[in-house]
Amino acid sequence: MRFSVFNLARQALSAHRNWPEQWRSPEPKNAYDAIIIGAGGHGLGTAYYLAKEHGMRNIAVLEKGWLGGGNTGRNTTIIRSNYLWEESQGLYEHAVKLWENLSQELNYNVMYSARGVMMLAHTIHDIQVFKRHVHANRLQGIDNEWLTPEQAKEFCPILNIAPNMRYPILGAALQRRGGVARHDAVAWGYARAASAMGVDIIQNCEVTGIRRDANGAVSGVETTRGLIGTKKIGVVAAGHTSVVMGMADVRMPLESYPLQALVSEPIKPIMPCVVMSNTIHAYMSQSDKGELVIGAGTDAYTSYSQTGGLHITTHTLDAICELFPNVRRLRMLRNWGGIVDVTPDRSPIIGKTPVKGLYVNCGWGTGGFKATPGSANVFAHTIAKDEPHPINAAFTLDRFRTGRLIDEAAAAAVAH
Amino acid sequence: MSDSMAMRRSVFDGMTPIRVEGKVTAASLPFAARFVFRGDAKAAAACSKAFGVTLPKTILQAASEDGRSALSLGPDEWLLIARDGEEAGIVAKIEKALAKIPHALVDVCHRNTAFTVTGAQAEALLASGCPLDLHETAFPVGMATRTLFAKADVILWRTGTNAFRVELWRSFVPFVWGILAEASRDF
Amino acid sequence: MLLIPCPHCGPRPEIEFRYAGEAHVARAADPGAVNDQDWAEYLYFRSNPKGIHFERWRHVSGCARFFNCVRDTVSDKILTTYPAGEKKPDLGTLMKEAGR
Repeated sequence: MRFSVFNLARQALSAHRNWPEQWRSPEPKNAYDAIIIGAGGHGLGTAYYLAKEHGMRNIAVLEKGWLGGGNTGRNTTIIRSNYLWEESQGLYEHAVKLWENLSQELNYNVMYSARGVMMLAHTIHDIQVFKRHVHANRLQGIDNEWLTPEQAKEFCPILNIAPNMRYPILGAALQRRGGVARHDAVAWGYARAASAMGVDIIQNCEVTGIRRDANGAVSGVETTRGLIGTKKIGVVAAGHTSVVMGMADVRMPLESYPLQALVSEPIKPIMPCVVMSNTIHAYMSQSDKGELVIGAGTDAYTSYSQTGGLHITTHTLDAICELFPNVRRLRMLRNWGGIVDVTPDRSPIIGKTPVKGLYVNCGWGTGGFKATPGSANVFAHTIAKDEPHPINAAFTLDRFRTGRLIDEAAAAAVAH
Repeated sequence: MSDSMAMRRSVFDGMTPIRVEGKVTAASLPFAARFVFRGDAKAAAACSKAFGVTLPKTILQAASEDGRSALSLGPDEWLLIARDGEEAGIVAKIEKALAKIPHALVDVCHRNTAFTVTGAQAEALLASGCPLDLHETAFPVGMATRTLFAKADVILWRTGTNAFRVELWRSFVPFVWGILAEASRDF
Repeated sequence: MLLIPCPHCGPRPEIEFRYAGEAHVARAADPGAVNDQDWAEYLYFRSNPKGIHFERWRHVSGCARFFNCVRDTVSDKILTTYPAGEKKPDLGTLMKEAGR
């Protein structure tokens, strides 16, 4: 049922007790034309675009937990496209353009807000790196501008630009079209739209094996809810990618690290934009609920624990207190962790694999949320056409053999 | 007029005194000769003879003799401490004794400095920045180790039940001393 | 925070260490003789297991030595540590010792 003023009024007459479920929870069929492993934002989005743009509706998304319960439900919701290389800019800008219209397209409010993302420079090196990004972005028609410390403070009044900070702010790069969106809403919006088109979303269904035929091509998946046949599998399992790809004997250039985040008690609006500091290791924005949403770099060691250590949080808050002194006495309400799959060049892998019918979309590390619609869109194309879209053509698994790495360590922002 | 370039200053000059009567005191130590020595058991034995202190074979131990000390920080790494001014003599003797034995001897007199933390609350004051268990059962007299104080690498050496010596790089002193000074206000 | 049993110094807080990646990833004795795929495997491809992981750490704010460690990446519990250069311990024996 569409969300509209008309339906809102109609449902109000029965005290909102008759809204239908937003997505179906069907039993898995014996076979599908394609199976997506992982019902996060990227996976659900892939299913949506397969159905919407490629007419593939006899498909399923399998999720070992609950949909959107992985990194999609744990990220700090930042959206931007101010990356260095043309390949990356194409990919993230594709996402930003889809974000701008996503609520309308999905008939679901994803609460997208282009409030600006500001990257702070604290050293000469930072200035050089960010100015290089500004120029690279402008050459590709992506907005990015250099600000003085005073201009940065004008854009974000609670920012501390005192010269006696340990690492004072020397300037900032601002992408005005960057911003935030409601992470859960993205998953739910795609799930609802995909389900309505006939896509089966099967939760509590863990893939335990990948079946291949005599020629080595994909023939199905073994799951905790039975065997399901298919000729196309798209693996979108984030931190668990190595585990799933291992079921098809494909080794990956990935390491899964804990990434933590935390929120403060809700307060009135004081933070108008997103501020990120690579050098002193923290970033912050404010949700519509009023909570300050804070994050930083990964923990140092690989782990599937979704926990991480409190010392990381402490260091992050040291930096936050330095940057925004008037939040020092706020209480932190919740902290949590996810599992991020990190590649050596901090760029994703989206494309075909050595196994026929097996496609992978992974390696987003700490920066997957911003790319959700763009990633899903080009991955759907890759699966449907058995060929990458021009936008994801460079993000191959094979680039690690050829050496054509896409080094976005600086743009990925949080140092690993 | 004295050549100010040649004047050696103590990094502790002008720092907030740390002194809580009956509880804890931090005090800077005078300049000293310091070396990092690295070598295997054979090199360590030869160095012990030349330096005049037996380099401890057990890791994380300190040994002292006649105003000189040797702290074992790793399986083949020692910090040698002697009186200020003895550097040249020490280098000559050790290099002569180890002329044919592979080793490394690095003069760190001007890199390192040190201060003491003494008193009934010495452990508690150091705990404000050091993550180790400093109780005497876990960190006995004579134990010395590299560790962290807040974000700075330091060498912590327990010289007595209520006495510690902190060896650290000169440039870290304002940071470490500043945290200790602030923590001492709790006592 | 992990409490890591350094083979030289004993159990120490995680912040004294630096993680050094998967252990026993051998560098080819003659890199020039290795093909591109194998070289990429050495540089970039890692097991990344959900479970027992053989890894290296360096005790930078302690004895400053590298050493090896066996840790369960789901519980983050460390089963054992052993000095650099030693062979990989037998997993069966380790699990028995750990009472699993």
